[in-house]
Amino acid sequence: MTIFIEFIVSFFLVLGAFFALAGSIGSYRLPDFFSRLHGPTKSTTLGVGSMAVASAIYFSFQSGRISLHEVLITLFLFITAPISAHFLAKAALHQRLHQKKEGTEKIS
Amino acid sequence: MIIALIPLLPLAGSIIPFLFSSRSHHAAAAGCVAGVSLILLLAQAPAVFAGQMPIHSWQWIPAIGLNFAFRISGFGFLVACLILGIGLLIILYARYYLSTEDPMGRFYAYLLLFMGSMLGIVLSENLILLMMFWELTSISSFLLIGFWTHRADARQGARMALIITGGGGFAMLAGFILLGHIVGSFELTDILASKEQVQGHHLYAVTLVLILLGAFTKSAQFPFQFWLPHAMAAPTPVSAYLHSATMVKAGVFMLALMFPVLSGSALWFYLVAPVGLVTLVFAAYMAMFKDDLKGLLAYSTVSHLGLITLLLGLGSPLAAVAAVFHLFNHAMFKAGLFMLSGIIDHEAGTRDMNRLSGLWKYMPVTATLTMAGCAAMAGIPMFNGFLSKEMFLAQTLKPNLFGDQAWIIPLGATLASIFAVAYSIRMIHEVFFNGPATDMDKQPHEPSRGMRLPAEILMALCLLVGIFPAVLAGPMVNAAAQSILGPEMPEFTLSLWHGFNLALAMSAIAIIGGIVVFKFRRYLFDSHIWFSRYCDGKAIFETVTDWLIQSGYRLNQAVFNSSLQRYMALLIISVIVLGSSPFWRSETKFLGTATMTAIDPVTFIMGIILILCALATVITHRNRILSIIMLGTVGLIVSLTFSRFSAPDLALTQISVETVTIILLMMALFMLPRNSPKDSSRYRRQRDVLLAGLAGGGAGALAMGILTRPYETISDFFLAQSVPGGGGTNVVNVILVDFRGFDTLGEITVLAIAGLAIYALLHNFEIEAPQTDALGRPWTSDRFPMILANITRPLLPLALLFSAYIFLRGHNEPGGGFIAGLITAAALILQYIASGIVWTRPRLNFDNHIVMAWGLIVALVTGLCSWVFHYPFLTSTFTYVSWPWIGKFELASAIVFDLGVFLVVVGSVMLILVKLGAVNSPDAQTVSTLAQHHPDLEPEKEMF
Repeated sequence: MTIFIEFIVSFFLVLGAFFALAGSIGSYRLPDFFSRLHGPTKSTTLGVGSMAVASAIYFSFQSGRISLHEVLITLFLFITAPISAHFLAKAALHQRLHQKKEGTEKIS
Repeated sequence: MIIALIPLLPLAGSIIPFLFSSRSHHAAAAGCVAGVSLILLLAQAPAVFAGQMPIHSWQWIPAIGLNFAFRISGFGFLVACLILGIGLLIILYARYYLSTEDPMGRFYAYLLLFMGSMLGIVLSENLILLMMFWELTSISSFLLIGFWTHRADARQGARMALIITGGGGFAMLAGFILLGHIVGSFELTDILASKEQVQGHHLYAVTLVLILLGAFTKSAQFPFQFWLPHAMAAPTPVSAYLHSATMVKAGVFMLALMFPVLSGSALWFYLVAPVGLVTLVFAAYMAMFKDDLKGLLAYSTVSHLGLITLLLGLGSPLAAVAAVFHLFNHAMFKAGLFMLSGIIDHEAGTRDMNRLSGLWKYMPVTATLTMAGCAAMAGIPMFNGFLSKEMFLAQTLKPNLFGDQAWIIPLGATLASIFAVAYSIRMIHEVFFNGPATDMDKQPHEPSRGMRLPAEILMALCLLVGIFPAVLAGPMVNAAAQSILGPEMPEFTLSLWHGFNLALAMSAIAIIGGIVVFKFRRYLFDSHIWFSRYCDGKAIFETVTDWLIQSGYRLNQAVFNSSLQRYMALLIISVIVLGSSPFWRSETKFLGTATMTAIDPVTFIMGIILILCALATVITHRNRILSIIMLGTVGLIVSLTFSRFSAPDLALTQISVETVTIILLMMALFMLPRNSPKDSSRYRRQRDVLLAGLAGGGAGALAMGILTRPYETISDFFLAQSVPGGGGTNVVNVILVDFRGFDTLGEITVLAIAGLAIYALLHNFEIEAPQTDALGRPWTSDRFPMILANITRPLLPLALLFSAYIFLRGHNEPGGGFIAGLITAAALILQYIASGIVWTRPRLNFDNHIVMAWGLIVALVTGLCSWVFHYPFLTSTFTYVSWPWIGKFELASAIVFDLGVFLVVVGSVMLILVKLGAVNSPDAQTVSTLAQHHPDLEPEKEMF
């Protein structure tokens, strides 16, 4: 495996880790429910997606065959993440959680 | 082979009477079955009389010494003749006795079942086999005694008989097992030949007491005598059969059978003889005061059984001969007398002696027959009862182990004989004479020919045996006694006249005394009223059973008070106690010698997260949803651990189980308040923390202790044999469906039963689904958001395809029926969640319990198929097939079995979740009706 490939893989890994961390910090730090929802749905999805890309590249070059598992994983990730976000948002709207409230209330 | 057919024919033939519809056909069918059995039995007569003992034996479960073995000893032959001969007469009699309302086919079926089990007792060679037949008689006699199920006294009597004889049978089984343990074999031939070995063993006393308990309860010996009179609630043919020739004779049969091996010790005498004596006198005394004809005969039966028991207890060879002879005689005259009492009841409308009188005028033939029977019962010369009674009285005069108090036995015998004469006279006097017939419901008349014929035959036999004993009964009694006594066989002759001796004098005293007692019976009756108030066996039995039920209930209340916490605490405490005891006793070091592997960072971090999540589950348990999320995380980490330590099968299973469990918990939460209140006291929390810590720590310590020492596992065998033996490279799956297929079959059966139980529990379970959440906010009107519904529908085929893939590759790569079943169930459940039960139910239109049942059938049939090819149950086979285009692949029969597993898992998971979901759904009520009214909706065949 060339050093070039290793750089690409490392890049995606670091990128993924960064987004995952940012998502986690966001879901902990942001002030109200609707803002916090962005963390796990967008940032973390992107983070896991980057990891999947890194994995796909790594295993494709390591085994010499194109590795497609990761594409499927990404696909399902992109299907499920919006749905859970949608449900969480719907529940929050239904329960009339307000923006700008102090960030302690829990969703259920 | 033919020997085995004798008991098995009536057992198997018990269904034959059901095949006919007319009453006569029922009787004829039953008669044919019993008749064929009798002919087969009589065909063995030459061999038996020649002193041989035909034995036929098949191996059944040799590992526990159980053989399907039958023998015909002389004694067994005699009792079997009685069972079948009197049985045939009873079949004829019952045909005329039972009324048109009684279910005749059922009656004969029970009777044949009973007959077969009795024959099994007397012809078994193997003790365990004998025990099975013994229990079968308890059950079939229960059915017979309670035949008139609409009568409370019949039900009570049947239950009492079952409890007493069943309890005794339990004791006897224990005794048999001890006996087999002492001798080292359950074959009667071996046991009967090892008297010294048994009596020298330190367990002899326990064995003897246990076996005697079984025999005494069955033969209604004191203090268990009370069930027999209450069993008189049965139809008279049943009483005539059970209480003359069969059921109660099983007890004394057992005593006589065990006579060669258990008797001869002082303990035998002190246990058996006094019980026999007390029963003999007490029951004869009680019989005098019974106004019910059958009640009188019942106590008389108990008394005669006491006589036989006493004879066997005396232990001398001649006493055993007398016991056999009396058993034979009593069966005949008592069966006849019961039939005659039934005739009187049938034709006069009552069998209460206070109401009966003067029947001589209307039924002289019946009266004559009854007199003959009573004469035999009382021991009048010229009748068979006299002969065996003479032998009995002569034996009581022999010196015995009571020493100076030996006179008590002849005294008791004479007393009982006096009572016997008195109650026999009373029966004749009050039924047939005693003034004109007044208090009767209908005009009494002679019975029909067929009803009287059996009694006529029996009474004629009583008289003939009484006059020509040596010709008619001699060979049979001789062969029977010979088979019991063996080389100790004494010289004896059966004859009417033995010359003047003390026994004859005692008989004379009995007859004269009986007439005197009868004359002055009024004084006895007055004193008896006082006695009967304090001594009622039934009342004592009821008190004891009530007390037992009450204390059982109280114990149940104390332990199982419906508090889940208490169950868990008790369960965990017992596990700690049982599990920790080896730690205390063990001398070896706790940790073994194996070196530990180094901990790598990933494992370490996973371990820390696992511990934290487990703690968080406990800490957040008041907020249920949070707690469940924590629990889900624990499950995920566990499955990650599995996959890290190369157990992909387990990881897959864990993830699927986790998914389904979380869904289940969420549905259960729906019915619970959002936050659980704080209701445990401080002390209890401390106790629970202690318990949990001990249990968890103990399990961890055990794992550490085992993992740190070198050990051999059977894994190597499985790894080596997986491909050559099971034809699959996935060892886990090969173990599940092949090496341990039988375990798996058991497990899926348990799963199916659990599923059915939940189905039954929830079947009519309707609770109002709450209209709002815990804070009073109504549910959203958009109940099934479009986005989820529209994503899950196209996903379903994909999920099912994946599940099929997992299933098919299971034999060689991670997967298999269990995991595939969980995935399928999860995929189907997702449809319910996304689109609601009203939409989904008509589209997934199959019954989950039927899917489950098919799964079990498929698994079982796969197992049975190997029998067709003469292999043991559940043997699997495999082969490699080459198909064009696809290539070479493997076909294993185990995959069909796996399909069964798959179906059971799908069925049970769906059953539980859908049922619970239907309860939760506010439109649950409309679902069932809606599902029925969708005939045009073709169920989508996504599944298969």
